[in-house]
Amino acid sequence: MEKTRREFVKLVGGAALGAGVILAGRGKAKAQTAPPKGVPAEPVKIGVMPGLTGVMGVPGTAAWRATQIWADEVNAAGGILGRKVELHMEEETTAKESVERFKKLTLEKKADVIVGLMSTGNGLAVGPLAEELGQLWLSWDATTQKGVEETMPKTKFAFKSIDNEAEAIGGAILTARFFPKIKTIAGINNDYSYGRDCWDSFQAVLKHFNPNVKAVVDLWPKLGETDFTSHIAALKKAKPDLIMTSFWSGDVPILMKQAAAVGLFKTTKGCFTTGGGVHFTLKKDFTPEGLILGYNSMYFKWTDTWPLLTRFVKIYHDKYKEYPVYECDHAYFVLQAYKAAVEKCYSLLGKWPTMEEIGKALSGIQVPSLSGYRGYREDNIMICNFFMGITTHKNPYDFVTIDPVEVLTPSQIIKPTAGTKLYEWIRGWKA
Amino acid sequence: MESILNILFSGVFHASTLFLVAAGLQVVFGVQKVFNLACGSFYALGAYVGIVVVKSFVAGGFPTPLFIVPLIGAGLLLGFIIGPIVERGLIKFVYGRDETFQLLLTFAIVMMIEDVIKFIWGTSPQTTGGIDLIYGRLNLFGATVPVYNLIVILCSLIIAALIGYILLSTKFGRIIRATAEKKEMGEALGINMKMVYIKVFTLGTVLGTLGGALVIPATAVVSEMGVELIVLAFAVVVIGGLGSMKGAFIGALAVGVLKSIAISTFPELEMLTIYIIVIAVLMIKPQGLFGGGKV
Amino acid sequence: MMSLKSTKAFILIVIGLLLLGFPLVASQYVSYLMLTFFAYAIMVLGLNLLFGYTGLLSFGHAFFMAVGAYTAAFLTGKFSILCMEVIIVIAVIISSALAALIGLVCVRYIKIYFAMLTLAFGMLFYSFLLKFYYLTGGDEGMRVLQPHLLGFNLSEIPKMQFLTGNYYFYCFFIFVLLVFVMWKIVSSPFGLCLKAIRDNPEKAEYLGINVKRYRWYAFIISGAYAAIGGVLLGSAIGHVDPGLTYWTHSGTLVFMTLLGGFGNFFGPLIGGAVYIFLQDKVMSLTTYWRFIFGAILAFLVIVAPGGIAGVISSLVKKEKSIE
Repeated sequence: MEKTRREFVKLVGGAALGAGVILAGRGKAKAQTAPPKGVPAEPVKIGVMPGLTGVMGVPGTAAWRATQIWADEVNAAGGILGRKVELHMEEETTAKESVERFKKLTLEKKADVIVGLMSTGNGLAVGPLAEELGQLWLSWDATTQKGVEETMPKTKFAFKSIDNEAEAIGGAILTARFFPKIKTIAGINNDYSYGRDCWDSFQAVLKHFNPNVKAVVDLWPKLGETDFTSHIAALKKAKPDLIMTSFWSGDVPILMKQAAAVGLFKTTKGCFTTGGGVHFTLKKDFTPEGLILGYNSMYFKWTDTWPLLTRFVKIYHDKYKEYPVYECDHAYFVLQAYKAAVEKCYSLLGKWPTMEEIGKALSGIQVPSLSGYRGYREDNIMICNFFMGITTHKNPYDFVTIDPVEVLTPSQIIKPTAGTKLYEWIRGWKA
Repeated sequence: MESILNILFSGVFHASTLFLVAAGLQVVFGVQKVFNLACGSFYALGAYVGIVVVKSFVAGGFPTPLFIVPLIGAGLLLGFIIGPIVERGLIKFVYGRDETFQLLLTFAIVMMIEDVIKFIWGTSPQTTGGIDLIYGRLNLFGATVPVYNLIVILCSLIIAALIGYILLSTKFGRIIRATAEKKEMGEALGINMKMVYIKVFTLGTVLGTLGGALVIPATAVVSEMGVELIVLAFAVVVIGGLGSMKGAFIGALAVGVLKSIAISTFPELEMLTIYIIVIAVLMIKPQGLFGGGKV
Repeated sequence: MMSLKSTKAFILIVIGLLLLGFPLVASQYVSYLMLTFFAYAIMVLGLNLLFGYTGLLSFGHAFFMAVGAYTAAFLTGKFSILCMEVIIVIAVIISSALAALIGLVCVRYIKIYFAMLTLAFGMLFYSFLLKFYYLTGGDEGMRVLQPHLLGFNLSEIPKMQFLTGNYYFYCFFIFVLLVFVMWKIVSSPFGLCLKAIRDNPEKAEYLGINVKRYRWYAFIISGAYAAIGGVLLGSAIGHVDPGLTYWTHSGTLVFMTLLGGFGNFFGPLIGGAVYIFLQDKVMSLTTYWRFIFGAILAFLVIVAPGGIAGVISSLVKKEKSIE
């Protein structure tokens, strides 16, 4: 009896050992590098919420593509601390559905981090939710500063995007610099919060440099409008020296085309604060030179000496036959920041960090992204440079580019804290 | 003076595009009593295909100013293909049914076409480039009018006249007007109602796709065009009267010009004007200006 | 006959118990989806009264739901009224008043014109919400703060626990109550008159039924139901925005009603549940879910206009005829 039991134990033990060896060997063959100590083996789940339809379609699709490119690159290099990255995409649509999708990613998919969202309305719905659920959320473009400064002064899990008005402020600064002699302006902006914020900020900043400037007309077509012939007629009637618009989607090429059809910009200057969002649709045939054009946080050609950008533009163009836009940079940046924060925590703690710990590491972080170095402030709001310039036809493409390329820094265009009142801040400017 | 003319011309141009969307709706409703929510989607399809055709035409090295020929051809052809497919494939099943079911079926078609467009062409806005600028612009009494826009207006007028001719002076038109609502009577008279219905629906579809193709060089396509346009088309037919071509014409003119004036004088009200007019008309004279029949 | 009735009652009790016990077994997310189901179920109950029983297709039902939701936002956010019961009552009053006004206009017309008019009112509200952003938050919408249930301030409890626990049961009981009320309405002489009006308005008129007035009543009741659904939905999401009243959202409500089977009492409830869970699954699988849903709707309209309930009852009939 004794002997058989001992033999039995040896048999089982040997089998277990053998099985263990085989399994370990198989495991090794799969992963190039076994995850370091304290790091779980399963993949990192990244929830992604791009808006893929309607006006959000252009930047949303671009950001989703950029996310996928980043994930492929990172996985090819071994993942984050050896963990592969797994993307779980849920579309951003209406506020109600976005809240549902966000809850699904948090509660069912147990996402380690959620990135995405571009609509401010959705951001306002999801922000408090992220805090309540303790879910790390890195917003691409859904600002949440409005109305929640009191309720969410310093968030732990919701990392917000840049204020709405930054592009308009930049546009006004450049308008004052390049077109100092204008006396009258007109605005044509979409009739919603972003359009209104931009028009108000543009005027406020311009008046700081040029106090006698007058707004002669402001038009408010709805988001999604496809015909501006009547608006252009109204603009012609008002005869402004400069027309400002914060259009950022399909309406930019339409406005440009229909304006070209009547030669509007032959006699009037223009400032397209956010038109760079669809820059590759602004073909030379109908987009004149000499307009101010803003590209938000990324101009696809801002330099030849930043390899991240050059490589990305090439991959993106080869795959999609289009050129990337600013949302790609936001999407790329949040992921870079996440990875860096995780790695920083690991080096301090020796284990995979919790979402709260990652949140702490993200505050004040600076990482390389497509448009250079950029980061999060201490109050968990993004900051980065903005690129704007004067349109030119001197390039090898069929669309316009900008020359000179002006780089506007955060101190120039982003309010120092979320709670700062815009007009007080502008009044405090020294120059 | 010149600004008034500018406002008028832009209003009329806008009216032309509205007319082309609404005309298809009217024809189908007038005869088959089907309220086709998908008329905006057909318009969008015409626009997307129009872009493809124009780009290929130019890339193929053909003389650029002639681009309008294949454009119109493509708009017509697309409608002639899609019309019968949708009619025989889907619509014919609901003819005897309550109007509301027919409405719901067209709503389903709207949803499907939306994703088909997204699947084929993606979400980026597309244009035909600056090709319409080739025709230059005219200076009429001080107002600057792009020639292409005038062409569009002209085409809408021609189409309106053609439809009027078909309805009033051809045998086909007489049959349509006589048997509208009375399918059994038509059959009793020995008319092949099936063919009539296919032809009418196709006509409505063609009007939509042609409209989209015609207008696209002057604007751009955005992915939710179909859903947005239906609201405008709906406003036009309410004002003009459901089922009436004359109503579509006048309704489009009213909406187009009123919107243009609103933009120049009360830009803040732009969005609300349409709905207020619609509701006012529906309350005062629900049949619209030219509509007839029981409400 | 007796066995059929008691079978039905038995099924209902079982389902009720399942729903009650749901949060104990299901995941937090699925329980949250059930919350939206309760809200939508109440809305489509109202819509079915109008569409299924009275024969009026409204493409603006989401309007009343949005009224309820925005009422909740205003009361909790701007006026600090957090008592849920008060919020519901005020929402019902406001939406009934609006329904009475709008109904006066709309019920003069039927079929397509009714659909069009309701669509127009829905979109007018949409433009209004967008335009008067100082009041309504515009496209950004407004927050809905967590209300007090039955006088209890439950804000200490973590949000998800609150939603899938206390709030769930609260909504469940309101849901059951409203189902019961609707059942009573539909079985009453009033309900029978509505059915008569749907089937043959001229005959109903001839029989002495004031067709317009009864349609008006149905319109008001359906509006009130939609508003209650809106309050519950808005509170669950925590946020309201103008998209709630866009015409395609009304279309979704009609879809749900049709899917389950309009004209059948429980049809819309089935439709609501199926739609919500199906949409959740399909949206995660593909971005082309609109195509799939469009195809489903087309299929329904052409092949199975009686919806799921219609299919079930025809199967039951078949079985019975075999016996």
